[in-house]
Amino acid sequence: MLRTLIKKAIPALAMSALFFAIWVPAASAATSEQVTTPALSAQLITAENGVARGSGTISAGLALDLGEGWKTYWRTPGEVGFPPVIDWTGSRNVADVEFQWPAPERFTAFGIENFGYHDGVIFPLRIALEQPGQPARLSASVTLLTCSDVCVPQDFTLTLDLPRGASIDTESAARIADYAGRVPVEAEPGGVRSATAHVDADATALTVTLRRSSPFQTPDVFPELGEGTSLGAPDIRLGENGRLLWARLPILSAHDALTAVPSLTATDTGGWAATVTPEMLATAPPPPYSEARAAVPISSMGWIALTAFLGGLILNVMPCVLPVLSIKLSSAMKLEGAGRATVRWGFLASAAGVMVFMWGLAAVLFALRQAGVTVGWGLQFQNPVFLALMIGILAVFAANLAGAFEIALPAGLQTRLARAGRAGGHVGDFLTGAFAALLATPCSAPFLGTAIAFALAGRSTDIALVFTFLGLGLAAPYFLVAGRPGLVRHLPRPGRWMIALRVVLGLLLAVTAAWLVWVLQGVAGTTTMLAVVGMTAGLVLLLSLPWLRGAIRAGLALPILGIMLFGAAYLADTSAPRAHSAEVTDWIAFDRAEIARRVSRGEVVFVDVTADWCLTCKANKALVLDRDPVVLTLAADAIILMQADWTRPDPAISRYLESFNRYGIPFNAVYGPAAPDGIVLPELLTPDAVMAALDDAAGDERAIAAQP
Amino acid sequence: MTSRRSTLAFLGVAAGVVVGFQTLSSLLDRFSGTPKFEPLASPEGFRRISGGSSSSGAFDPFVGLEAKEDGPRPATVAEVEADLCKALYAEAPEDSSIVPIASFSDYYCPYCRVQMRRLADLAEERDSAVRVSWHELPLLGEGSDRAAKAALAAKRQGAYVAFQEALWTTPFQPTRDYLLRLSDSIGIDGNRLIDDMQSDEVVDELMISRALARVFGFIGTPAMVVGGTVIQGEIAEGVLRRLIEIERGEGWRRIC
Repeated sequence: MLRTLIKKAIPALAMSALFFAIWVPAASAATSEQVTTPALSAQLITAENGVARGSGTISAGLALDLGEGWKTYWRTPGEVGFPPVIDWTGSRNVADVEFQWPAPERFTAFGIENFGYHDGVIFPLRIALEQPGQPARLSASVTLLTCSDVCVPQDFTLTLDLPRGASIDTESAARIADYAGRVPVEAEPGGVRSATAHVDADATALTVTLRRSSPFQTPDVFPELGEGTSLGAPDIRLGENGRLLWARLPILSAHDALTAVPSLTATDTGGWAATVTPEMLATAPPPPYSEARAAVPISSMGWIALTAFLGGLILNVMPCVLPVLSIKLSSAMKLEGAGRATVRWGFLASAAGVMVFMWGLAAVLFALRQAGVTVGWGLQFQNPVFLALMIGILAVFAANLAGAFEIALPAGLQTRLARAGRAGGHVGDFLTGAFAALLATPCSAPFLGTAIAFALAGRSTDIALVFTFLGLGLAAPYFLVAGRPGLVRHLPRPGRWMIALRVVLGLLLAVTAAWLVWVLQGVAGTTTMLAVVGMTAGLVLLLSLPWLRGAIRAGLALPILGIMLFGAAYLADTSAPRAHSAEVTDWIAFDRAEIARRVSRGEVVFVDVTADWCLTCKANKALVLDRDPVVLTLAADAIILMQADWTRPDPAISRYLESFNRYGIPFNAVYGPAAPDGIVLPELLTPDAVMAALDDAAGDERAIAAQP
Repeated sequence: MTSRRSTLAFLGVAAGVVVGFQTLSSLLDRFSGTPKFEPLASPEGFRRISGGSSSSGAFDPFVGLEAKEDGPRPATVAEVEADLCKALYAEAPEDSSIVPIASFSDYYCPYCRVQMRRLADLAEERDSAVRVSWHELPLLGEGSDRAAKAALAAKRQGAYVAFQEALWTTPFQPTRDYLLRLSDSIGIDGNRLIDDMQSDEVVDELMISRALARVFGFIGTPAMVVGGTVIQGEIAEGVLRRLIEIERGEGWRRIC
């Protein structure tokens, strides 16, 4: 038994050894020799190990592996630099090569903007052969620029011989497919609804807008205005809940032919990239923030101011501020005999202290904004980390207001501040005001936090407005007393009513937190929502435990908050529909037996054999299958669309292709009652060819069916 | 009284923190940037800063330039080797406390712009005591070659620095129209500039720079020679200033 097994095994082993001996060189033929310099190593790779019978196109790639710190450039390199150029002289049986550019990234160094690639890149190459099915030789003389802290031009030649053959190098194919997926798509598959551009009369600035069906997250724009024109760093703003991208770029140098049709490439998180031709506008599109100003006039500013003022006024009766105010007021009552002028100036100085603190806060925020900490308001509510943070903060403060625990500045600091506040003269009064505002922070944090978030999202004028009115509200009692010192006696005193007020305010915050939980569930899914709610509850519980010391409490609370934020980012359900995966037409999976069954029922079947690495298949899809009139015809009920995915080798698909004497893709065929054996379409599809084949395959059947 | 004192103390500490941060960064710049040297095998007497990615000698000096067909003429290389100082620092300063710097750059390389600006600013500082010799080393294609020739042609009309500044602040295509317009704007004769671009003097000057690059083994741009120290690639301004001081102290005349 054993002996027979061995007997059978030995020839099998010998066969497979022979197989490998023959096939290994063939498999490695899908890559050229590697050229290596300290800056990069470069190689020419192809998805196909050879030219399949009848096949007229090859999917290839120029693979660059860049050394650490080295970069190479995009087709529009930016202010300086130059893009890779390939001279194909010396190639055989090559008719045409389409060089594809994966989406670039932005490098800014010493104020110079450059666009390109780092670490590595593969430029997909769609090669059309002169004589289909014949061996080909690719000879690429590459000239490109690599820069780290020194720029070194690279000149090298890569050659790759492609014999006849039908196998696929899966590794090369996967690498090409990866980068083919990063080449920017056109407007429609990219979900771009509209794109506009405007160049001002003096050619000093370019303004572009882009509307997408789903919100942008961290977009960047790479407009091109023709050779010799370069643009500075973009000012990017989002509007319409993140669906509108607006950007203005200074034109650093304009070439004479600025009239050329511009092209606009945009990128976003998740590998989204699209290149569109924007519609030229006669007037500059307004930025989203001014747009909001135009739509919501002064009255809305008034509401913001009023809300901020009321917020500031409420802060006065918060437990942390009221004592400061009371001390001040009682001192005023004592001083009543000493002269109104003194009281008046004292209170004005205190009010000034409050205002200075608030304006200081506004200045910090303004500086942050200038430093680039800008966030779109709509955008934040799609960010699970931001939502988790807000839920945590709101829940903690709601619990605090409901009396679960107290937040206090360290005792030492508190006494120091109070003592400084008692310093004599108007300096002391001024400091009292500033410290009242500072002491208010434990109570006012939820309000200030919201105001800060709002201010960071809004315009600079919003920051000034919000904080000025918050300050005015907080300083209102001082102003009032300064105006009519006699009013001192009628102001409310601390008492039990304060507790009721706290509870009401706490409830308001809790309701807001609940609303954010609901938003979070929609954005990041139920798991994330439950995790965040659970950890928030833990956080509040931990803070409420009376026997824990402050330091231990903080030591435990901060990690929980950290885990919560990380968890929110980690658990977030990213399976949300991606904009560019929107399929224009519905395809069913390939099943050879199914074709005959469908045809016998009088249906027309359109078969498309494709693969992720097949550049010509993608071109066919974008230029013919997903366009009018083909897309409309294919969408008709009577036509069954069948897609065979050859990204990974599949013997069933290979056999199917072989039956047509084809060994490579793209392959398209149409079956129908009048063409049960199928009509094979050319490798490079044209709308006419597809439409004619669909008509021929349907034959008279469709004409009969169409009759009443 | 105590409260006022503590307030003052607080303000003092705050001011101290602000000032401290500012001086700390400049101090770090100064001390972390103290360079270490290693001698060059060729040309003799010169040295380079050891460490650092670009000056580590990881490159075969002949890879970059040898690949091009238009390498320097052997005669020019011999001529340059015969009197390195003259070729490198065309007008070497009489005063040995003034440090000569030779800058090699290309208008199409991003970091060259940084180096050119930095050196031009340095040369303008009254107490920096450096003299910069500009060399054009166009390695990056036809556009960079034309730009270099145009700059050298502008030098014939005494407008080298003005021309250079115009070129390094804007991206451009050195077309005939562009160069004529630029000549107009800085007040030189545009047609003469176009003619001079093909002159023997300009071609010779480029050839000398190219021969120097071969002799020093530059594989790319920017590059510079400060006194007797060779630098390939971009370096921090602090290191450059420190290096100038060292060269002044040790006396760069040793190589000339």
